Amino acid sequence: MIGFLLTDVPEELIHAAGFFPYGIIGGSRNLEEANTHLQAWACSYSRSALARALEGELDFLDGLIIPQTCDTMRMLLDLWEHVRPLPYMDNFRLPRQVNRPSAGRYLLGELERIKKGLEDFSGAALDNEIITESIKLYNHNRQLLRRIDALHARYPNQLSSRQLYTLINGSMIMPRNKVNRLLQAVVGELEQNLGPQENGGLVRLLMSGTLLEPFEVLDYIEEFGGTVVADDFQNGYRYIEADVDTDKEPLEALAERQLRRIPSAAFDLEYNPRRFFLTDLARKKEAGGALFLHLTFCEPENFDCYDNLKAMQEQGFPAMRIETQFGGAGLGQIRTRINAFMEMVGGVSK
Amino acid sequence: MTEKNVFKTAGLMKEMMKKYNEAGRKAKDDGRLVAWVTAVFPVELIYAAGLFPYYPENFGAVAAARKVAHELSAAAEEKGYARDLCGYARCGIGDAYSEEHPVGKILEPDLLFCCNTQCGSLSKWFEVAGRYYQSPYFLLDSPRVGLETDQLCIEYFVEQLHEMIEFIEKQTGQPFDYDRLREVLNLSNEACQLWNEVLDSAALKPAPFGFFDACFHMAPIVTLRGTRDAVNYYQALKKEIDERIENGITAIPEERHKIYFDHIPCWPKLRWFSDLFASRGALVVASQYTHSWAYSFDLERPLESLAENYTHEFVNRCFEYRVQRKISFMEKYNVDGFVLFSNRSCKPNAFGLYAKSKLIREKTGLPGVVFEADMADLRLFSEDQVLAKLEPFFEQLN
Ligand code: SF4
Ligand code: SF4
Repeated sequence: MIGFLLTDVPEELIHAAGFFPYGIIGGSRNLEEANTHLQAWACSYSRSALARALEGELDFLDGLIIPQTCDTMRMLLDLWEHVRPLPYMDNFRLPRQVNRPSAGRYLLGELERIKKGLEDFSGAALDNEIITESIKLYNHNRQLLRRIDALHARYPNQLSSRQLYTLINGSMIMPRNKVNRLLQAVVGELEQNLGPQENGGLVRLLMSGTLLEPFEVLDYIEEFGGTVVADDFQNGYRYIEADVDTDKEPLEALAERQLRRIPSAAFDLEYNPRRFFLTDLARKKEAGGALFLHLTFCEPENFDCYDNLKAMQEQGFPAMRIETQFGGAGLGQIRTRINAFMEMVGGVSK
Repeated sequence: MTEKNVFKTAGLMKEMMKKYNEAGRKAKDDGRLVAWVTAVFPVELIYAAGLFPYYPENFGAVAAARKVAHELSAAAEEKGYARDLCGYARCGIGDAYSEEHPVGKILEPDLLFCCNTQCGSLSKWFEVAGRYYQSPYFLLDSPRVGLETDQLCIEYFVEQLHEMIEFIEKQTGQPFDYDRLREVLNLSNEACQLWNEVLDSAALKPAPFGFFDACFHMAPIVTLRGTRDAVNYYQALKKEIDERIENGITAIPEERHKIYFDHIPCWPKLRWFSDLFASRGALVVASQYTHSWAYSFDLERPLESLAENYTHEFVNRCFEYRVQRKISFMEKYNVDGFVLFSNRSCKPNAFGLYAKSKLIREKTGLPGVVFEADMADLRLFSEDQVLAKLEPFFEQLN
């Protein structure tokens, strides 16, 4: 099994090389475990992942790939390797600019390097057909999840936000064949019971951030009369939005998909296209407000937050930012803030 | 550096930096575009293209040294830029939104260039600034490099240098002059070599020059690298240091110990630190930070050589490389202990320091300590906490 941190990682390659790509989600409650190695002002995702490793909770992994999305991720692999080494460890060194020809050529080289590393580790050469098979499996998974996502947006009473994101995140830790069968069954059941589209009076929200955590947030939103109909989380829509072209040479197709992913704080361009992406999305999904969920100390988000909030508000969407943590800290306060926000956007007041 | 011990060249530096700042202010009248650049950036291309390079990090360092970083930062925080962002970035963003300019206004950019060899904070900050000033922004992307030379990374960088030259040509309407680039690279080589000879003098015991002096004298190697001025400056400084050696003038009155220090100094507390170390007979002699500017360019392969130097800078290297490099400095300067600064502003330099410290202690047997503070923001600095870490360290030296 090869673990990966969320989520811009070519899982398809890992899978094709014969490994089980395992997404490291969920938090450790013992963040202090990481204290002697990683300062308390590193984001709680990195601290929680390291804490889980230190507790031995991830000892079942044979390897780890960390995508380079920020300075914290850039520093984490080496540190991890030093305190809890695994047989195979690598950084996926993503290009941070995505709009010039050099980015595509470099990314292809980097994918070749990762492929070679996986081949060396597994001891077997990887041919294109096998990679394409894995790509198809993952495409199918994304297609199913997107269908469920669309069904949820139309019939939030049939499938709750929490259920939707649990299915997306669950996909990262289960064998894909099996997940796809289960998802197929979910789709079948949902589609059978469809009545006319109905919102149940719920306020439709857009959420934005790097990582959706903790999931209790979704419960609070529903408690106060809301539902999440759009997002750009790495463990949300960003994970399922883009398929890989199966007609192309697989590494090229993987590179292309990476560069085509929806905008994120880690790869934004000068004019921050993400704010336009988000306001468009809010309009398209008829959102009644936008909730920014940022992990404390998440640097890329902190730099763009002002701009994104402003864009949302200027387009007439009430917007608020909430800071959260892995590890379940501050739930009471988060609930209170969501309550206040939901009152503002016309949810249920309690 | 005690008062009576002030370097004569300090006057020359003031003059030169004044001239540089004036040139920046009147760049527009002279028909020169102001280009924001980062400290570890192939500025040689900017000089060769006739643009005026401006260093917003320096602006942050100056604000920090004058103890006003938190005031500027407050203006950024009011807009929602979190206090845990790099202090330099908060100073720059704060200055944009602030009515008050306690260290003068930051020079507004016509173009922004960033190289992320150092960190991802700079690229995010420059994006924000590009939007604020509505000026085009160009990122030179430098993926992280391990122990070995990384050809993939170098090729990617070279390709981006071509893209950047094209971008500059479009902005200036002038063809890029490679002969001029070679001249600039030559001047850079000379200045880097002189600067490193100056730094080397800290290895003498007792030494005429130490890290805190280097923090003061590094401005030209950062900002004027690639100009004749920088070469002239370091020739003068070198000469003065040679005179000091002849006349037995030392950096601190009584040098008993040599110390290695990482990374950036605490600017608002520079004097406090230098006095503290001096009072314990400890001279800080080296830091990866001041040794960053040690480039050597091959004029026959200018772009490749720029790529090799700037992508393979220590701050972009892996854990193992950085540990080895620290140890090699410790050996070269024959130090008695090391102090590592876990700088709140700077994740790429702070994360991993505890493990590095432990490993270095094991490998060298030297006493060492890690302390927590911020390089710019006094609200994130506590004398008591720092002393609580450093006092036991000084004890160990004796
Ligand atoms: S949450 Fe933010 S700071 Fe943490 S790893 Fe992800 S991008 Fe980096
Ligand atoms: S202090 Fe660190 S984070 Fe800030 S600009 Fe310099 S390298 Fe980047």
